[in-house]
Amino acid sequence: MAKELLASCRDGSSIILDPRTKLAVLITISIFILGGSYEGIMQYYIIILAFIPLILLLSSGKRKASVIYIVIFGGSLCLELFILSMLPSPVNYIAVTITGILLRFAPGIVMGYLLVTDTTVSEFMDAMDKLHMPRFITMPMSVMFRFFPTVAEEWSCIGDAMKMRGIGLGYRRAGHILEYRLVPMMICSVRIGEELSAAALTRGLGGPIKRTNVCDIGFHIQDIFILFVCAGAYVAQIYVLITRG
Amino acid sequence: MIECKKLSFSYLAGGGKKKYETIKNVSCRIKEGSFVLLCGVSGCGKTTLTRIFNGLIPHYHEGKLEGDAYIEGKNTKRLSLFDISLKVGSVFQNPRSQFFNVDTTSEVAFGPENHGMSESKIKQRVQQVCSQLDIEDLMDRSIFSLSGGEKQKIACGSAAAIDPDIYVLDEPSSNLDSCAVSDLRRLLEILKSCGKTVIISEHRLYYLADLIDRVIYMKDGKIEGDYTAQEFKAMPESQREVMGLRPLDLDVLKDTEHGIKAEAFSRWVISDMTFSYKYRPGILQIGKSILPAGKVTAVIGDNGAGKSTFSRCLCGLEKRCRGTVEYDGHVYSAKERLNICYMVMQDVNHQLFTENVEEEILLSMKNKNKKQIERLLEDMDLTELSECHPMGLSGGQKQRVAIASAIASEKPLIIFDEPTSGLDLFHMRKVANVVNEIADQGRTVLVVTHDPEFILRCCDHVIHLSAGRVYESYPLRDRRDRIRLLDFFMLK
Amino acid sequence: MNKLQGKDFINIGIFTAIYFIVIFAVASIGFIPIFIPLISVIVPLVGGIPMMLFFSKIRKFGMITVSGLLLGIIMLITGMGYWCILTGIVFGLLSDLALKACGYKNYKREILTHGLFSMWVIGAFIPIVVTRADYYQNLLPGYGEEYADTLMSYMPDWILPVLLAASFISGIAGGIIGYRIFKKHFERAGIA
Repeated sequence: MAKELLASCRDGSSIILDPRTKLAVLITISIFILGGSYEGIMQYYIIILAFIPLILLLSSGKRKASVIYIVIFGGSLCLELFILSMLPSPVNYIAVTITGILLRFAPGIVMGYLLVTDTTVSEFMDAMDKLHMPRFITMPMSVMFRFFPTVAEEWSCIGDAMKMRGIGLGYRRAGHILEYRLVPMMICSVRIGEELSAAALTRGLGGPIKRTNVCDIGFHIQDIFILFVCAGAYVAQIYVLITRG
Repeated sequence: MIECKKLSFSYLAGGGKKKYETIKNVSCRIKEGSFVLLCGVSGCGKTTLTRIFNGLIPHYHEGKLEGDAYIEGKNTKRLSLFDISLKVGSVFQNPRSQFFNVDTTSEVAFGPENHGMSESKIKQRVQQVCSQLDIEDLMDRSIFSLSGGEKQKIACGSAAAIDPDIYVLDEPSSNLDSCAVSDLRRLLEILKSCGKTVIISEHRLYYLADLIDRVIYMKDGKIEGDYTAQEFKAMPESQREVMGLRPLDLDVLKDTEHGIKAEAFSRWVISDMTFSYKYRPGILQIGKSILPAGKVTAVIGDNGAGKSTFSRCLCGLEKRCRGTVEYDGHVYSAKERLNICYMVMQDVNHQLFTENVEEEILLSMKNKNKKQIERLLEDMDLTELSECHPMGLSGGQKQRVAIASAIASEKPLIIFDEPTSGLDLFHMRKVANVVNEIADQGRTVLVVTHDPEFILRCCDHVIHLSAGRVYESYPLRDRRDRIRLLDFFMLK
Repeated sequence: MNKLQGKDFINIGIFTAIYFIVIFAVASIGFIPIFIPLISVIVPLVGGIPMMLFFSKIRKFGMITVSGLLLGIIMLITGMGYWCILTGIVFGLLSDLALKACGYKNYKREILTHGLFSMWVIGAFIPIVVTRADYYQNLLPGYGEEYADTLMSYMPDWILPVLLAASFISGIAGGIIGYRIFKKHFERAGIA
């Protein structure tokens, strides 16, 4: 069931990281690979950073995904370093843009995928609490994660109904397809949402007392190691900035 | 103790433009530790009354409230929902929409968390509730992997975790099969034996017969009858029928007769139908099964027996389904079956797409024929509603629209998925009549259901599934067949 | 009464989830890199349908800001960078102010507000555009000044404002579509 954005229960064996560590890796990757300038030693350090999602992928036994990741990231890195300059100019512009985008987005997307599939909702909410996120963020956020699978479920049920009525590819009024699908989905979701609010309120949500949260997360040796690697990226960047003057 | 004094309530709908009254001048007093059944036909106001007991009225649903309700001597208007949540636990009708968390353990811990209990105490409390209600085996599971019955058990557990003295349940069995109903009954028995006050609004009565202390019968927003358990049980079945209530004892159904339809002229033959998820054992393995054409066949079985999968495979909605369906000398592939089958879903909200009822029916028609639409609207009692938005109608009306589009599609095989869940006696009979009419027009109907009363009113044939296989398959002709059917539905 | 309460938070969560699923479904077109700029047009166009319904339910200040922030966080955890958190908050806040100014009752302003809100999508483009100059110079050593200039002309400086304007305009168009659907369906179905 790939319907859930965050998993509701843990499965499989892998290096278990604290969700906060995964968030730190994501932010680091976003800063230096997605948004970085790749100056000086940074162009080598990003390769180290890009290894973190690869290691996590391999440890959770996702071999196919690992290979795709190596091909996309490694491939576009090689292209940029060695081959692009040799291509004729119109092809070149397109190729530079495409490889640039693949190179920059791949590690972050893979890390995001890992965070999303390998973290349970309650772990993530624990992490948010431990990071002292205020309630006005954590409360809608937990509803949101709870709601993704529900909306996806509605979406597929409505899809079935459409198939049965012969509305799909090749339907005469193509403009209506989106409407037929979105409108019932939204009406159903809003109704479920209303019932959900009522049910939550009868169990004391939104009371004046501070909620407790049954937490199970914490930092381990693997977290510390990975956080160390991330910290290295910031140190390297500062070094680059200083030596540049 | 709960007390109501001259309560009236009307909902404000459509931004305050429409106003409809649901309960009028209701006064009652419910003793501590009693087990009270609220019953009456749909729209009689019993759900509204439960909302008053759990504080959703006046604190969540907007509307005009007159009179007062007291919980343990305190006026609910002056209590906040948070205060009420300590005293009253609620379980709702729709198991899909009452969970705030995605895993079962967090769900049970949710109430105590909101009340700021300490971590160790919460864990202890969750343990305690689980062993008390016998739901330990459901812990640490994803909400999305639970069956409807399991979800209702978790909902009860979640309500019980706060340890309230009063439980309010609003049609908790609507979406449950017979096995899950037995489980729910056991759970209610535990609550009763702990001395809790239980107020339950329900259409299905048979599973509550031994639990109730008192029955409140509502009609048109008023309390029309207030009976002790003895009085209610002593009532002749015919009187309850006049009141629009489902039977208290399934045994009386043995003598239900319905008109026998003309002998089947041909049949649908399903052979070697199998379905399985990747790398997993088969969910459905049907060697050979027959649906008599022009008749109504019921598919029964416990949860997980493969009823829904079977109907989805038959419709051609499952790509992984193997096997053939033959009718009238033609073998239909899964893709072709999409063109000859129409399923009326359990949640009809998923199949209403357009902006008004007439459009909705037109959408299904191949040859648009004004006269035919008018006749269909009239047959289905929808003429006055033809300009309304389908999603704005009541549950029963929506279902009729969905059925009307099924009829308009002129497809030969029509499948109903749980058409009577949560319907009262009158509405259930109405649906049964419609199903009979569809069959009389020469179409074949398949009904997936767990409503024995409904089966006996319109079905001619039964397919009983168990663990993905056809366990037995028999026609419903005489009393012996009916007893055989009812045996399956008896409380275990 | 103006403080956000449980019911409001649940509403924010629900609509952000619906909005994200809808835009994610239509934005999958961006997996083909050449079409990435199109996202700034398509997302606001379709996003108007859920957002206009959401706007109709809002009576309190701050709900769109929280929603924008949440969108930013999901964008971060799905690997789209952290810039959307910033743009989500900024344009969410602007939208909140715009709605407050019209007293939550004026549909024309709501359509305009949707245009404003839609500009958050620019956050997804910032990492590509802002750092590209340094990026080309550093990763393609020895290509020469001329080459870098040609590349810069493919993604010129004015692309960000253009994308921003595109998202605003299609946001207004999306708002109009959303309003039509709202009138045609949601209001009559009784969920408004």
